[in-house]
Amino acid sequence: MLSSQELVWLLAAVAKADRTAFERLYAATRAKLYGVVLRILRRHDLADEVMQETYLKVWNSAGQFDPALSSPITWMVAIARNRAIDLVRKKTEVSIEEESDVLEAAAADTPDPLAKREMTEELRRLLACMGRLDEQRRRLVLFAYYGGWSREQLASKFATPVNTVKTWLRRALIEIRECLGS
Amino acid sequence: MTDDTETDTPEVMAAEYVLGTLASNEREQAQAMIENDPAFAQLVRAWELRLGQLHAMVAPVEPPPETWARIQARLDGTDPSAAILLPHPDHAARVAAESNVVRLRRRVGRWRRATAGLAAIAAALIAFVVTSAVRPDLLPGVLRPKPVEIVKTVERTVERIVERPVNPGRFVAVLQQDAASPAFILTVDVATRTASVRRVAAAPQAGKSYQLWLVSDRFPKPRSLGLVGANEFAQPALASFDPATISGATYAVSLEPEGGAPDPDNGPSGPVVYTAKLVEAVPSSP
Repeated sequence: MLSSQELVWLLAAVAKADRTAFERLYAATRAKLYGVVLRILRRHDLADEVMQETYLKVWNSAGQFDPALSSPITWMVAIARNRAIDLVRKKTEVSIEEESDVLEAAAADTPDPLAKREMTEELRRLLACMGRLDEQRRRLVLFAYYGGWSREQLASKFATPVNTVKTWLRRALIEIRECLGS
Repeated sequence: MTDDTETDTPEVMAAEYVLGTLASNEREQAQAMIENDPAFAQLVRAWELRLGQLHAMVAPVEPPPETWARIQARLDGTDPSAAILLPHPDHAARVAAESNVVRLRRRVGRWRRATAGLAAIAAALIAFVVTSAVRPDLLPGVLRPKPVEIVKTVERTVERIVERPVNPGRFVAVLQQDAASPAFILTVDVATRTASVRRVAAAPQAGKSYQLWLVSDRFPKPRSLGLVGANEFAQPALASFDPATISGATYAVSLEPEGGAPDPDNGPSGPVVYTAKLVEAVPSSP
């Protein structure tokens, strides 16, 4: 992937309706965004739909991106995740009825995303704070973030009442905020 | 659950919106607030910054080449979205030829692969965070957060209309005193005549109840839709009203004696503290 600064330049060009820059931006970010939304939607047709909407929104809103507030990839991932979660919340057919298979199947297909990542300072701090959470709550947050799971789905996976999930989530998020100190 | 009051703070709602755990109707409410409430939008941005780094752990996956072609076609306006979303005829025929069992098995297989990856990420990350937790050099100092303040002054009534609702087929109204503190958010599905009211910053008043009213020129008096605000969510009773009345009405919240207005057929007995009109969501036209 291009550097964050290069992506900022591309977004600035996209804001001026530069199609070449848009194509380069797509080439640089498509696999990350597709990876994020596919994990949430679990279906290629839905992920394709969300990719289209995401990049149309990026095309139309590039001028609203503020490099002082966010990084380009974080901004784009947020757009894509929001679209994916909006969709998955409305589609009852995308269910997690087989969540019990998750852990046993994990060994079969194990990417090692950490190995090839450069760790940003922000990520380091976030992970340090996640490490301080109670394990159950940490897993809850991670499954919610990566899988786009609702409270009900988390409750089913963790065999816990929805209200308890809600309480755990709330406390975990507040602890993260306190730990990050911002 | 000793800290139940936290549930209703905009802070927690923003955090759960970014994390993705809100239900569909709550997401609509959050999106309505993002559009209309700069303070809430700022909370959401802050949470996107806090949690946004987690995407770094997701392994990239190449999308199919058709995705880019479709994006370009939509930018050029040469390809109506309906055509994009319909399956290709060949594909449809192929799918139809498959037995249900085969299709189900394929879906299950795909699902297993996707969730296996998910579990692997979570497992890798858990391993990492456990390691990092014992390295004090990585741990930032903990700052005490400021307590969440819920400011309430019920003398003023400010009407605020949602200018850009986010979802088709839905009506949204934000009942609030000022941009920083939406008190209630009302979403209505006219087709099913169902509604929900989420209490946001309206703090419960000792010995008082909030009551929601439908105000329409079709009725001589406001009609009670029930009490709101005692719990995080309330389901106002709209089933007896027709769609035109529901969508054209003004919605008002009054502060009543505990249990509600003594004579609800005569309208509110206490002060009306919030009002808003519903605005129909613009149908999406990609």
